[in-house]
Amino acid sequence: MINPSMVPTLDPNPLPAPYWVFKLLLLVTFFLHMLAMNFMMGGAFMALAARFGSKSSQYRNRIFIDVAKKIPTLLAATITLGIAPLLFVQVVYGQYFYTSTILIAWPWFFVLILLIAAYYGFYFAAYKGKRRPGAAGFVLLASLALVLFIGFIYSNNVTLMQVPSHWAAKYFANPSGWNLNLSEPTLIPRYLHFVTAAIAVGGILLVLLALARWKHDREYARHLFRFGGKAFMYATMAQFLVGMWFLVSLPRDLRMLFMGDNTLATVLFSAGLLGTVAAIFLMSDALRKDSIRVAAYGVTGLTAFIILTMVIMRDILRDAYLEPYFHPHQFPVHTQWSIFPLFLLLFLGGVVLWLVMLKRYGLFTSTKPTEL
Amino acid sequence: MNYPIWDVAFGAGLLIALVAGLHVFVSHFAVGGGLFLVLTERKARRTNDTALLNWLKSHTKFFVLLTVVFGAVSGVGIWFTIGLISPTATSDLIHIFVWGWAIEWVFFFIEITAALLYLYGWDKLDPKLHEWYGWIYFIAAYASLVVINGIITFMLTPGSWIDVHKFWIGFFNPTYIPSTFFRTAICIALAGIYALITASVQKDLDLKARIVRWGALWTVPALITLPLFGWWYIRKIPAVLFASARGPMPTATHYAFLAWSLLVVTFVLTLWALLRPRHLHLAFALVIALVALGAMDSFEFVREDVRKPFVIENYLYDNSLYAASMPGDGGFTIDNLNTVGVLNAATWVQHRAVTPDNQVAVGREVFRVECQACHTADHYRGIHQLIEQRQWDPATVHAMLSGLSLMHNGIMPPFAGTDAERDALAAYVNSLQTITPNPATFTDGKLVFENNCSMCHQDRPDDMLFTGLDPNPKVAADSLKDLTSLFPLMPDLKLSEAQRTSLVRWINTQRPASQHAANQPAANRPGTAPEGGN
Repeated sequence: MINPSMVPTLDPNPLPAPYWVFKLLLLVTFFLHMLAMNFMMGGAFMALAARFGSKSSQYRNRIFIDVAKKIPTLLAATITLGIAPLLFVQVVYGQYFYTSTILIAWPWFFVLILLIAAYYGFYFAAYKGKRRPGAAGFVLLASLALVLFIGFIYSNNVTLMQVPSHWAAKYFANPSGWNLNLSEPTLIPRYLHFVTAAIAVGGILLVLLALARWKHDREYARHLFRFGGKAFMYATMAQFLVGMWFLVSLPRDLRMLFMGDNTLATVLFSAGLLGTVAAIFLMSDALRKDSIRVAAYGVTGLTAFIILTMVIMRDILRDAYLEPYFHPHQFPVHTQWSIFPLFLLLFLGGVVLWLVMLKRYGLFTSTKPTEL
Repeated sequence: MNYPIWDVAFGAGLLIALVAGLHVFVSHFAVGGGLFLVLTERKARRTNDTALLNWLKSHTKFFVLLTVVFGAVSGVGIWFTIGLISPTATSDLIHIFVWGWAIEWVFFFIEITAALLYLYGWDKLDPKLHEWYGWIYFIAAYASLVVINGIITFMLTPGSWIDVHKFWIGFFNPTYIPSTFFRTAICIALAGIYALITASVQKDLDLKARIVRWGALWTVPALITLPLFGWWYIRKIPAVLFASARGPMPTATHYAFLAWSLLVVTFVLTLWALLRPRHLHLAFALVIALVALGAMDSFEFVREDVRKPFVIENYLYDNSLYAASMPGDGGFTIDNLNTVGVLNAATWVQHRAVTPDNQVAVGREVFRVECQACHTADHYRGIHQLIEQRQWDPATVHAMLSGLSLMHNGIMPPFAGTDAERDALAAYVNSLQTITPNPATFTDGKLVFENNCSMCHQDRPDDMLFTGLDPNPKVAADSLKDLTSLFPLMPDLKLSEAQRTSLVRWINTQRPASQHAANQPAANRPGTAPEGGN
C-alpha cells in the first residue's frame, strides 16, 4: 500500500528564527529575483525583436547591441538574487521542495549546464554584438531559448512541489529522475503567465534605457521609448488572456480564493488587475504625450507594485495547495540569537555598501556614463 | 528513505564529485585571484608598467568570465546536487546554518557586484577608486570562504556541537582554523597558477617573464606552507578517522597519496616554469593547472572519505539514518529500523512486507534506500563487481551483510532492518551475480585472506588476525570454524576446511615464528591432538 501523499517528515533541527521571518525573507528576495529575471529575459526578447523584427534599419542593430550589453549583468543579478529565495524556500518548504526536485532530478540538474551555456552565450552577444551582429543575434536567440527552458523546468518543479498526492505514482513509475510535470493542467498557463510578464518588463527596460539617453540622443531615445512602450502595452494586454487562462485552469476551490474566499488574495487580485489596466493607460498616455518620465517612473513603479502583488498571491496559492499537509505551527522554533542579529546587521551593511558602490561608479548621476 | 532516492545507474555520487570538484578549483581562484588582481594593479601602477597593466585588464576579463559565470553557477550547482542526493543532510545543515549561508549570500552579492564594477571600471574609474572596488571584491570573496568553511568543516568534525547544538560551537569546530589557513594557501597558490595561463599566451616575452616570476612568487611560497597547514589540519581530525587514509580504506589512502604527490609535482612544475619564464607554453601552463586540480580534488576526496560512513560525523549516516535516537528523528535510526524494519519505517518504498515471491524486489528496494547513497548495482562502487571479484557465494554475501560496520576501518554503516529484510537484500545482491563462484576450492591462503578477511583485517603483523590466532595451526584452523565465537561482531562466515587450512598456513608465513608453531603438520608435533574432524 502506498501512502498517497508521501510527505517526508521534518528533520530534527528547529527553525533558527520564527517562521514569519523566513517567510518575509523568502517573499522579499523572491520579489527581487523576479524583477531581475523579468528584466533579463524580457531584455533578451527585446534585443531579438529589434534585431530580427524592427523595421527601422537605422536602429535595429543599435538597440540590439544596447540591450544585449545589459543582459549578462541582469543575469548575474537574477542568479545572485535567486540564491536567497532558494535558501529560504528550503528552510520552510524543504519537505516539498527536495521531493519534487528529486522526482524531476535530471531536468533540474541540467539547469546548471543550460544556465552556464546561456550565460556564456549572453556574454558572446554582449562582446561581439557590434562586430558580428548576425552571429550574436543567433547566439542570443539560443541563450534565450535556454533560459526559457530553465524557466519551464522551474515551473514544473514549483507546480509539482504543491501536489504531494501526485508524487508516488510519478516516482515509482520512474525513480531515475526523468520526469516533468506535464500532466499538470496549470503548468502551461502558469509558465506563459511568467513569460508574458517578462516580455512586458523587457519593454520597460527599453523605456529606462530611453530615459538614460533622453538628454543626449533624443531621436534614438524616442525610438527606444516607442518600441519599448508598445511592447509593454501589447504584452500586458496579452497578459489578460494568459492570466485568465491560468485562473480558470486552477481547481475551483483555489480559484475562488481570489474571488472572495480569501480577503487578502481577493484584494491583491483586484489591485493587480486595476494596476495592470492603469499601467496600460498610463503608458499609452505617456507615449501620446511623449512623456518619458511618466513612463519610466510611473509605469515602472506601478509594474513593480503589480509584481509584488503577484508574488504574494503566488505564495497564498502555494500555501492553499499545501493546506492539507503544511501548517507553520508544526515547526519547532529555537531562535539563534547569537547569529541572527549579525545577519541583519551585515545585510543592512551590505545594502548600504552596495548602494555606495553603485553611487561611486556614477550610476546615480546622469552626467556620467552608465554603461554596465 | 524519508525522501525518495534519485536512482542514477552510474552513481549519483559521481555528479557531486564532478560539480564540486570543478567548483572548488574555480572558487578558490576567485578568492586568491581577487587579491592578485588588486596587488598586481598596484604594483603595475607604482612601477609604471603599462604592459603589465594591459595584461591585467585582459586577465580581469578572463577572471570574471570564469568566476562570475562558471564559479557562481557551479557553486549553486553543489547546492542543487546535494539537495538531490542528500536531502536529509541538506535539510539538517540548512536548519542548523541558515544564518551562516544567508551571511555568505550577502558577501556573495557584494562580491559579484564588485567584480563586475572592477571589470567594467578599468577604463572609466580613476586608479584609486578602481583599486577600491578590487579590495571590496577580495574582502567579500574571502569573507564568503571564511563562512562556508565553517559549514564544510563542521561536517567532518562537529565536535561538541553534537551535545550542545549551538551555532558557534559547530561553526568554530576543531578543524575550522587549520582548514581556513589551508584553503587560504590554496587560494594564493591558484592565483599564481591561473596567472601563468594567461601569461603564457603573451607575445611580449619580457612581459611574459615578468608575469611568470610574479605568479610563481605567489604559488611557490603558498605551496610550501600547504604541507604545514595540512599537517595541522590532520592533527585536528580525530586519529581514528584519519586512520582510514593510512591503509584500511583503499579510496582515502589512494587519494591521500595522490594529494601529496600531485602537490609535489605542482611545486616542481612551477619551479620549472620559473627557470625558463620566457618560454612558458600554454600547454605547459595548462598541465600545471590540471595537476593542481588533481591535487586539490584529491584532498577534497580524502576529507569526504575519512568522514564515512557519516555525512555529518557521528550525527547522520550517508544513507540518511541518524546515528542516535533523538526527538524528531522520524524513526530513521539504526535501532528503530532493526526493530520495526525498513519497509515499515521508510516512506519511499513500494513494498511493505517480504514474501517468498517478492524477496528480490524487496531486496532491490532495501538496496536503494540503504546502500545506494554510495553504491550502485553495476557501475560506480558496483556491488556486482565487488562480489564477483571476491568470489562470494550466496552464503558469504549473506554473512558479510552482518559485518558491514567493521569493514575498512568502519566506513560503512551497519545494515539496518529485520532478518527477513537482510535475507531479501542478500537475495537481491546475489541476483546480480553472473558467475558461479566456488570459493570452497580455494587453496591459496593469500587469496582466501583477500577475498574474505581483507575488508576488515589488514595484512600487517600487528593486526588482530595475525596476533590473536592460536600458535597451533590445527587449533587455529579449527577456531575459524565459528567466527562469531571469536568475536561476536564478525560475520558468520563458513569457510571450508581447505580454505581455513590454507589461510592459516599463509598467515603463519606472514608473522614472526615466535607467534606460531612452525608450519608443520600438527600430528608431527608433540602435545597436539591427533588429526581428525574437519
